Amino acid sequence: MSPAALDPQLTDADGFYEALLDAHTGLSTEQSALLNARLILLLANQIGDAKVLAHCIDLAKPGTGSAA
Amino acid sequence: MALTNAPTPPSAYAGTAHTNDYQFSQGTGYVLPEYAAVVPDAVRTGKAEHHRILIVGGGITGLTLACSLAQLGVDCVLLDEDNTVGVKGASSRGICYTQRSLEIFDKLGIFERIQAKGIQWSVGRTFAGKDEVYNFDLKQQTNFSLSQQPAFINIQQFYNEGYLVDRITELGHAQIRWNNRVTQLSNDEGVATFTVATPAGEYRATADYVVDATGSKSPFRQWLNVGVKAKKGDDRWCIADVRFNTRPPTERHTWIEAPFNDNRAVWQHLMADDVWRIDYQMAPDADPEYVSSEAQVRERLAKQFGPDTQVDIVWVGPYAYRSECVDSMCVDLGAYAARDSAQQPLHSTQKLLQNKHPGQQPASHVFLIGDSAKVVSPFGARGGNTGIADADNLAWKLAAVVQGHAAPALLASYHPERHEAATTNVQVTNRTARFLRPADGVERLFRTAVIGLAKQHPFARALVNTGRMAVANPYAASPLTDAALQLSISVQNVALQWANGPPACLNDLLRWAGTRPLLLVFGDASGSLPSSAIAKLRALASASNLRVVHVVPQRSQAQVRETVIDAHGLLASACGLPAATPAAPSAPAHSSQASSVCQWALLRPDSYLAARGNQLGAALVSAVARCAGQSAPGAPA
Repeated sequence: MSPAALDPQLTDADGFYEALLDAHTGLSTEQSALLNARLILLLANQIGDAKVLAHCIDLAKPGTGSAA
Repeated sequence: MALTNAPTPPSAYAGTAHTNDYQFSQGTGYVLPEYAAVVPDAVRTGKAEHHRILIVGGGITGLTLACSLAQLGVDCVLLDEDNTVGVKGASSRGICYTQRSLEIFDKLGIFERIQAKGIQWSVGRTFAGKDEVYNFDLKQQTNFSLSQQPAFINIQQFYNEGYLVDRITELGHAQIRWNNRVTQLSNDEGVATFTVATPAGEYRATADYVVDATGSKSPFRQWLNVGVKAKKGDDRWCIADVRFNTRPPTERHTWIEAPFNDNRAVWQHLMADDVWRIDYQMAPDADPEYVSSEAQVRERLAKQFGPDTQVDIVWVGPYAYRSECVDSMCVDLGAYAARDSAQQPLHSTQKLLQNKHPGQQPASHVFLIGDSAKVVSPFGARGGNTGIADADNLAWKLAAVVQGHAAPALLASYHPERHEAATTNVQVTNRTARFLRPADGVERLFRTAVIGLAKQHPFARALVNTGRMAVANPYAASPLTDAALQLSISVQNVALQWANGPPACLNDLLRWAGTRPLLLVFGDASGSLPSSAIAKLRALASASNLRVVHVVPQRSQAQVRETVIDAHGLLASACGLPAATPAAPSAPAHSSQASSVCQWALLRPDSYLAARGNQLGAALVSAVARCAGQSAPGAPA
């Protein structure tokens, strides 16, 4: 079993996605990138587990699988 | 107070249809049935008519309402501006009908016709580029399995409209007046007064209950002065209804990024008569006329289905996606007249209001249904299906009030319930629209990330949004729902058996109940009625304000007059109750444990759950009262 959960866990996927995009509305490219960075760090702290985080970083890297 | 601009000349009945932006570009078009113009006596006599219920607009929602009222034995008049169903020169419009709509059509007696003509589908596939991102099969989803009706049927909207017209003719009660175009609506001291143009001249009519089913492009919203929240993006699509010599699979295919459409979205759906609806998302700066030209459509189809595919083009046209929602789906013209006269003291209506006397005509109420109330981008079939549900919601309430089974206060529940549904559907479709037409920059970046992850990981597929299929909207904020229920849900049309054997379904019970609520009594854990409940049920059953039926797991358990058999406890499950397990014949009744428990569910005539419980007590009495437009005993009005 992989350390990172890859089955759906979001209780309201569409609501989350809307809130995420809304948070970026009106921001400059630089402000958006900073928001994303802050958000990643906040979410990482929610996860906590080092193995899970390392696996997520690995999965997100460019060239992993067919990431567009 | 005049709600109108300058009156339109009498010849206006011949004017263009108030359709919703479907612009015909190419193709052989559809052949629509034509009906004879109706010229009422009022044209000749010059006397104004008065109607209890006047519906304006003979589209899918107006006709569903007229047919529902006719089914309930209530008279109404429906005015339609032209002489046909569908819209002349427009596309097939709505094509995808949900299980809930099919259940409503079953209640009205036209489901078999739709089933015979339409196409059932359950498999959907979503693609990005050449890859399938995910697929689903609605047959595998348990939330569709309790109903007699399938998850979806695809059929051109005008077929359903034609079946409704035929059914109305069979039922009587509802009179459809073709070629009757409303040219003016004025508010005469709270009374809605219409000027109607026919081929033979004009007449005037007033009505107590007016239903605006004219769609989003008619002058009604202006006449009624209702506020509208609208959102118009730059997303435009080319709709192509086509026939092939080779048959693609009977599945719903959606491409988020289609290689044969410059990596923009494409929809592919089958309808009746072997016609396929293919929708192509246009580039924001595209020329709609050029994209919708026959040569362009043929070129795209050849790229999509192969160069050898023979194609007949039935209809092609551009369509701009947008959303709109009115602030209020019910307008009290009496309140309007009073407010208007308060603001403008010199207005002539003030004097008339002061002169109101007991015998005077009551103020009119106008209800907005279907596209008159809201318009959504056509993702997930949330347009026409929501309109059909608006009509189903309003029909029993209007009928109950007109028949005297309910107080007029019942009608106040229409707006909160259906506005909640409209608001939800606008939100859900706007989210899909945003996924399919992301803003440049970070929105597109997130979509690229989602698509890439979704090809590998199930979690990201939940974020791929090519439309969330319409469901019967639950009501969280309804004055008719018992406070103990979080949500009022629509109970599916479960298959049952009459006590003497023949097959039945929940719709049979709802038709029997008419405009009255239906009390389903499931009894104790074994499906038996405790002795204390039998007398109470007999008293309830003899009351005129509800219908009572005992739902038993097996025939031998019938204890009251009206009984149906639900061998597998499906109806209890559909009502959110635990299914009864029949007691073994030899086993003694668990009388001490079960004596006071009596599971029940109270269904409104539109099949929504009003209340449920396990004691035949005060909660039931209050719930029945609310369904009759009365405040619960002891509760504030």
